[in-house]
Amino acid sequence: MKVEFTYQFEELAIDMDRLRKGLGYSEEPIPELFIDYLKKVKEDCRELTDICGAFRICEELQFADNKRSFFADGAEFKVGRTIAQKLRKADKMAFFVCTAGKTISEKASSLLKGEDPVFGYVYDIMGSAIAEAVADEVQHHIEQQMLPLGAKITNRYSPGYCHWNVSDQHKLFSLFDENPCGVSLTESALMNPVKSVSGVIGIGQDVEFQDYQCSLCAMKDCVYRSDE
Amino acid sequence: MKDELLKKLSACVEFGKTNKAALYPPQMKGEDGADEITSQLLDEGVGAQEILTGGLMPGMEKVGIKFRENKIFVPQVLMSAKAMGMSMVHLKPFFISGAAKQKGTFIIGTVQGDLHDIGKNLVAMMVEGSGYKVIDLGTDCLAEKYIAAIKENPGAAVGLSALLTTTMVNMEQITKDIKAVFPETLVTIGGAPVNDDFCLKIGADNYSADPQGVVDFLNTKIA
Repeated sequence: MKVEFTYQFEELAIDMDRLRKGLGYSEEPIPELFIDYLKKVKEDCRELTDICGAFRICEELQFADNKRSFFADGAEFKVGRTIAQKLRKADKMAFFVCTAGKTISEKASSLLKGEDPVFGYVYDIMGSAIAEAVADEVQHHIEQQMLPLGAKITNRYSPGYCHWNVSDQHKLFSLFDENPCGVSLTESALMNPVKSVSGVIGIGQDVEFQDYQCSLCAMKDCVYRSDE
Repeated sequence: MKDELLKKLSACVEFGKTNKAALYPPQMKGEDGADEITSQLLDEGVGAQEILTGGLMPGMEKVGIKFRENKIFVPQVLMSAKAMGMSMVHLKPFFISGAAKQKGTFIIGTVQGDLHDIGKNLVAMMVEGSGYKVIDLGTDCLAEKYIAAIKENPGAAVGLSALLTTTMVNMEQITKDIKAVFPETLVTIGGAPVNDDFCLKIGADNYSADPQGVVDFLNTKIA
């Protein structure tokens, strides 16, 4: 089953805490100038028409004996021991691709390179927050869809995190039609538009969703890392 | 007068005060910015070299240290770089004519396959503010691009940036290709997935976790 949605900026629950952390001000007050920039960016985002999320649920699933990978529709995903352990009770997997779209990605890049890098940086951080907010929506949608069936979902996991090699993006994208939500992959597995996220969510009666996940990840310097 | 102006210019860079009209930072509202102060210094007969070493560089050094210590964040560094850029517009003709000299040349680019450039840009800004000529090759750079830039700028050091585990591997081949043609060229690497061990493994000369580290490396090896 493949599903694709488009979103308006106003429909998304942008995580303000994430925005603050992205800008660097997780505890300190954001300087007034940057608050003005944020307001302007938010206003501009109302015009975005290419925010999109897509997912596909795979039911043909097999876990490898090495406890580090699984097969979905014949493709082996070498997610590593940590993620494999979190997913192992799943009997279905939802693969997703979400994007803030080409417009904001290009706007951020152009401002960063040229006339106003600070403004560009705020666009860049907002683009990341939008992509994550779309992923939240997709995750919520899957959760609601599974509830009547008595199934739960896991957290979402993305290539490049928790020891899952980013090169597996190619396998993940192969499960979709060409360029889901207009997102393509470079040879080095970089998503284009850059303000996009992809990953997998486990589905099953015995899987668990956990509030705190940062301790699983090896990216100690990640700006979004929580020290809880 | 001169010393006072240089001190003010340093503060403009440190706090990101671009020009008089700029509202940022609030505590310097209405005061002259890097643009006006650089003009005043030149009008006073102060040389571009002294403006660079006595005004811009001390300001940018404070920015680098505060950023490393998490006392300021990327938007503030970008404001500082903007202020420095305002000043450099006045100074660049002197560097081009040879009337003033920079410490050396630094070539920087994001490696083949990678399009991320915020970290690379921060390093470029900080290195330029620390007195070096910076040649920014952009993103998705092949070894040939670095080598061509080194040919045009003998003695330049090179910075390689990557954000992905899939593209950091390209650093190894690029470093080897550069060293094969220019064995003496210093190569410094940076980016989220790389570290000292990787630097050693690929034969690069330095890894820095932050922009000031690159400046410190260049100051030790080149300046």
